[in-house]
Amino acid sequence: MDGFVFLKCPYEYLYRTFVKKLIRVSRVGGTVHLFYSGLFCCLHHRHTYYHSPAFRSIRFSGRYTMGLSSAATTTTTPGEPLKFCIFDLRRGQHEGEELEKILFFFPADLPFPAQLSVVGLSEGLITFTRIFSPEAACEVIEAEMHSHVFFEAEPDIWMVMVVAKSKETEAIWRIEALRSVLKEIHSLFVMFHGSIRMLLDKEPGGGLTRSHLYTFIMDYLSDFLVGNKFLLPNFRDSLKERGTVQMLTVGREAAIEVQSLVGTLDSCMGNALGYSVILFQDLLVSTTLSPDDTVNLFSYSTLRLTPRILSSGGSTWSYLRKGSSSHAESALDRLHGFQDSSSARGDNYQVLRPLQYGKWSKGKDGFLVTDIWGVEVGNLVPTTPTIWLQQIEHKMYLCAYQYKSVTILLLIPVTSMLNGEEGISMLKQQLLENASSKIHKVEEKLAKGWGGENAYHVKGYRYLLVDGDNNISRASPSGKVTTLAKESLLALNKVREDVDLERSRTKGDDLEICIRAKNNSWVIARAARGKQLYIVLEKANETLLYASEAVEKFSDRYCDGAFSLD
Amino acid sequence: MFGSTSSSQPGFGGSGALSHAYLQYPPLKCRYDGSRGLFYDDGNKLLISPTTDQVVSWKISPFSSDVAPTTDTISEGPILSVRYSLDSKLIAVQRSNHEVQFWVRETGETFSQKSKSESDSILGFFWTDCAVCDIVFVKTSGLDLYTYMPELKSLDLVETKKMNVSWYIYTHESRLVLLASGMQCKSFTGYQLSAAGVIRLPRFEMAMAKLDANSKPVLAAEDVHIVTVYGRIYCLQVDRVAMLLHSYRFYRDAVIQQGSLPIYSSKIAVSVVDNVLLIHQVDAKVILLYDIFADSRTPVSAPLPLLIRGSPSRTNAQSSETTLTNNATANLYGDDWIFLVPDLVCDVSNGFLWKIHLDLEAISASNSEVPAVLEFLQRRKLEAKKAKHLCLELARSVIIERRPLPMVFWAIDVLLKSFAYSLKTGSYLKGGKPEKPTVSGAPENSESGKSVKNESASGVESRTVHNSGFSTSDSEDNNNNNNTNVRNVKAKNININITTNSSSENIEEASRIGDHSVNQPLNANVSEQQESQVTSAAIPPDELYSFVFASVEEEMIADASYLFAIVVELIRSASLEKIKLHPNIYVLAVRLLARNERYAELGLFIMNKIIEPSKEVALQLLETGHQNIQTRKLGLDMMRQLMLHHDYIVLLVQDGCYLEALRFARKNKVNTVRPSLFLEAAYASNDPQHLAAVLRFFRDFIPGFATTSEHSTFVRALADMTPSVAA
Repeated sequence: MDGFVFLKCPYEYLYRTFVKKLIRVSRVGGTVHLFYSGLFCCLHHRHTYYHSPAFRSIRFSGRYTMGLSSAATTTTTPGEPLKFCIFDLRRGQHEGEELEKILFFFPADLPFPAQLSVVGLSEGLITFTRIFSPEAACEVIEAEMHSHVFFEAEPDIWMVMVVAKSKETEAIWRIEALRSVLKEIHSLFVMFHGSIRMLLDKEPGGGLTRSHLYTFIMDYLSDFLVGNKFLLPNFRDSLKERGTVQMLTVGREAAIEVQSLVGTLDSCMGNALGYSVILFQDLLVSTTLSPDDTVNLFSYSTLRLTPRILSSGGSTWSYLRKGSSSHAESALDRLHGFQDSSSARGDNYQVLRPLQYGKWSKGKDGFLVTDIWGVEVGNLVPTTPTIWLQQIEHKMYLCAYQYKSVTILLLIPVTSMLNGEEGISMLKQQLLENASSKIHKVEEKLAKGWGGENAYHVKGYRYLLVDGDNNISRASPSGKVTTLAKESLLALNKVREDVDLERSRTKGDDLEICIRAKNNSWVIARAARGKQLYIVLEKANETLLYASEAVEKFSDRYCDGAFSLD
Repeated sequence: MFGSTSSSQPGFGGSGALSHAYLQYPPLKCRYDGSRGLFYDDGNKLLISPTTDQVVSWKISPFSSDVAPTTDTISEGPILSVRYSLDSKLIAVQRSNHEVQFWVRETGETFSQKSKSESDSILGFFWTDCAVCDIVFVKTSGLDLYTYMPELKSLDLVETKKMNVSWYIYTHESRLVLLASGMQCKSFTGYQLSAAGVIRLPRFEMAMAKLDANSKPVLAAEDVHIVTVYGRIYCLQVDRVAMLLHSYRFYRDAVIQQGSLPIYSSKIAVSVVDNVLLIHQVDAKVILLYDIFADSRTPVSAPLPLLIRGSPSRTNAQSSETTLTNNATANLYGDDWIFLVPDLVCDVSNGFLWKIHLDLEAISASNSEVPAVLEFLQRRKLEAKKAKHLCLELARSVIIERRPLPMVFWAIDVLLKSFAYSLKTGSYLKGGKPEKPTVSGAPENSESGKSVKNESASGVESRTVHNSGFSTSDSEDNNNNNNTNVRNVKAKNININITTNSSSENIEEASRIGDHSVNQPLNANVSEQQESQVTSAAIPPDELYSFVFASVEEEMIADASYLFAIVVELIRSASLEKIKLHPNIYVLAVRLLARNERYAELGLFIMNKIIEPSKEVALQLLETGHQNIQTRKLGLDMMRQLMLHHDYIVLLVQDGCYLEALRFARKNKVNTVRPSLFLEAAYASNDPQHLAAVLRFFRDFIPGFATTSEHSTFVRALADMTPSVAA
């Protein structure tokens, strides 16, 4: 190490002055020790096989953006548009055991050295950036050819997605959107299997965890598979927010009927202290769960349970995810030899595949059935699914009932169902007896009040409204968003990136951005008290005043004036 | 509440014994020396006891035991029947089968009306307020309708209705005369002589079971009763052979059998108290109560005897009083008991007139099906206050006893439906209460309110309201009826319109209200108004809150979700009936959700406006917000949306968002918040820039602020602050 500088300064100062030449910064007590070198040779003492990767910027903790320029070598071979890994920093601490770290890697047929290089680089960066920001380490690396998106799913368990930047212009992502994919994968996984750490503790070898993760994530990714390529959420999805629920707007009278139904469902579950979630089409109507659990169950339902999915091949409307067709899985299996590889690996674990496509169906009694959780030996009755809730660490039975467009999910603690399946079938019986007339009534009311897939379209506006406190979002129907010009969407993508950055830095203060894109459309972002509003106005008047008034009008009319405070 | 009912447990003996109907001591003593029988003039509500040359009468409405008799002198002679004219100017005395004699009370003049032929005997007569005649003679050959000519002091025959009549019955409250004819006296013709005119009912036959093929029982007058309940007219007929009580309901152009009630005594008497039908099983000395509003054929309660309450204790000295009472008690359902329409009993041998009362407490205590009891109590008007109180107690107790939710829901629903109904019919009036119920038919309410002041003008309108109320109940009633026959007929039927006021005390006035006359007596309207204010057992939701929910909340702390489910049902019922609820109920809902930490659901309730926004709710949300920041936001948002700008700004300042508060104040032109509040907040934040900004704000926007002491104080404070930071 040449040029040793010893400095005592605040972080901001450090960032401004030395960032371009920074190699290693460590902190001892209140003092920052800064090591300077012209060569970028080593990030982490245990991983010496990375030499000067081409970093453009590293972002971590949301407070620092570092521009590091140096010679470029790539860690990934070109032509792999997507790499995805999950690793555990607590494992494989000794040389030669590095493979132990890896819990999941996609593509699975990538040679181990290549896999290790991705994991090693990521780990190096995590360790490096943790020096500055122990609580929230690296979020993203923007290299010349790739973006590395980091997400610390559980303490020391990291998910990293490496996406190639191709010349194709479609490959423009918003990092937060990719991170939200990672978040969703993890929270859904936890909902079905429990936390990864818990699985690892249960079986330290990691075989069980690996096979669970592999099947689960492959099933999840199959939804993004179009032809032979993964279509990740890109700038065209800027008016969507993953990890939020979409609510059905109901009139007061209907809402009261729904609540009355919720009460009836409660009483059906008796003393079991269960929960209920009610959906209409792909929209949430009511929930008694915490917001986080609601989001997870909502995501799962819209992925696999709602009438649109079950009838499959149905129409495409606003909240429909592209590319989820029944042939996706077989394509995936064909591509990666999925079935064979799992058996070839010689795993004898019974692997649960809750995201496997087309496994749910509606029974004669209106309850949704699946054999994903196995079939009771002897009588061929499918086992009732069980899931984990974040809020209370209990295993819950998941019982789904569907009547026309209404889907009702009941969650009953496993511990309170002493006689297991028998109790569940009794509960189902009770539900049919006591609640079905109410369900019919509610369905009728909701169906009457629903305005169809374009119900929430506002003429002249393309918008996204996110209520971050309650994990609720509402957006223009996707059919309407597709009418926007590419320039508008790219500008919106950029604005959203900026807002993400700004919000992570200021922790949710109010802000307002209003820009005019190349094609003369207005892109406006506003954030106020935990809510965000993004609006694209095309063919609008050219004055800023006009744009601002248009937003005020929207805010007053559709957001109870939440964005028009000043 | 039910403590008092315990006194009516069996075993207490005497007046305390269990009964659902009772006679209240003391009775009206109507024995008069030289009395030659007792007559009941139901047109004028008079009990008449003529002597040889005098007519002594007691006014029995309102019923009071110490009413003084009035006396009129007439000439001597046999008396078959006595009735005063409805304007009390004439006394008519039937002297024989062929002659009725009249006295003009003012002058003492007399005149007579005789039947024309010997064979044509007078069965009886009654005065009427019918538009075409004043008095009706019922004769074996039919009806004679006369008008009275005061100038000529004679009657003028208006119309004759020819038919053979064996016997007849008439009640003034129904204005209906039923004429029996035929060998078995079981075919009937009816006329209603109301102010609207004379309506002839279609001829109909009553059902009579036969003991064997040859026997032909003859129907007697005492086996047929005209009953008026809920403004509908029924006829009850005892079938001694089948031991059934057949009921018929009268419509304008049809008479429809409604079903039969079992009887346990060959002698049956019928009373109506507060629209409850009391079937006295005379031989068994018990009473069965029926509430035929909902077409149910099951009795309201188990058969229990009639008792005398409030009589002086037997252990007292053997005064003549006690002996009399003892006689009376011993004489319950004696042979010489006469039941007078609708709720009076005359003990002829002792000369007592009793009024029958219902014991609502005992009835409600004897039935465990609370919703049914509530429905029953809600329909009671005579003791509305007591019924209302009992309802509140019952509602409270079902919740405290944690009865199954469906039952509680039903009970809540009953109460709200009843309240909504009373709003619709305008019988529920709340003078002075600020909360005007918002019902689609609300004008009715204000209409009747107005009519108190402006009686003559709104009299007709008010009556229409009254009418429509009954016809509503009527159609409901018929819809419930499974008898398709009835429904078919009903389609073309219009009810005989005798919307008699249900309170027996006001029968006279009330029945005039029920008439179609345009020139109504003024006082009739007033009396109805007064009555309606006290006769609705309907419970407004805010009373439901304060007497039921507020009082059980403490006890239900452990079971907040149970109580919450009930509150949701209350909100649901209210929304169905379009009743506005008091904000307190919503505040309670918020509290209950917060107690179980169901904040996400609370958000949904607010978002969907199930919990209606109000200042009270907003404040509760803010209070709850101490535990949950999202809830506090909801409260703030609600404040803003309710345009409670002042409170909103003060709260923002409290939260430390004084700059936002200032912006908001500027935008919405709120100038009621003191500048010092902002200045202090800015000063407390220890940020000189902010303090300077706030100072500048007030200097710019409040004229003359720069000269106030506040300004100088904070300028000094700012000056003190600035160097310390710069250092």
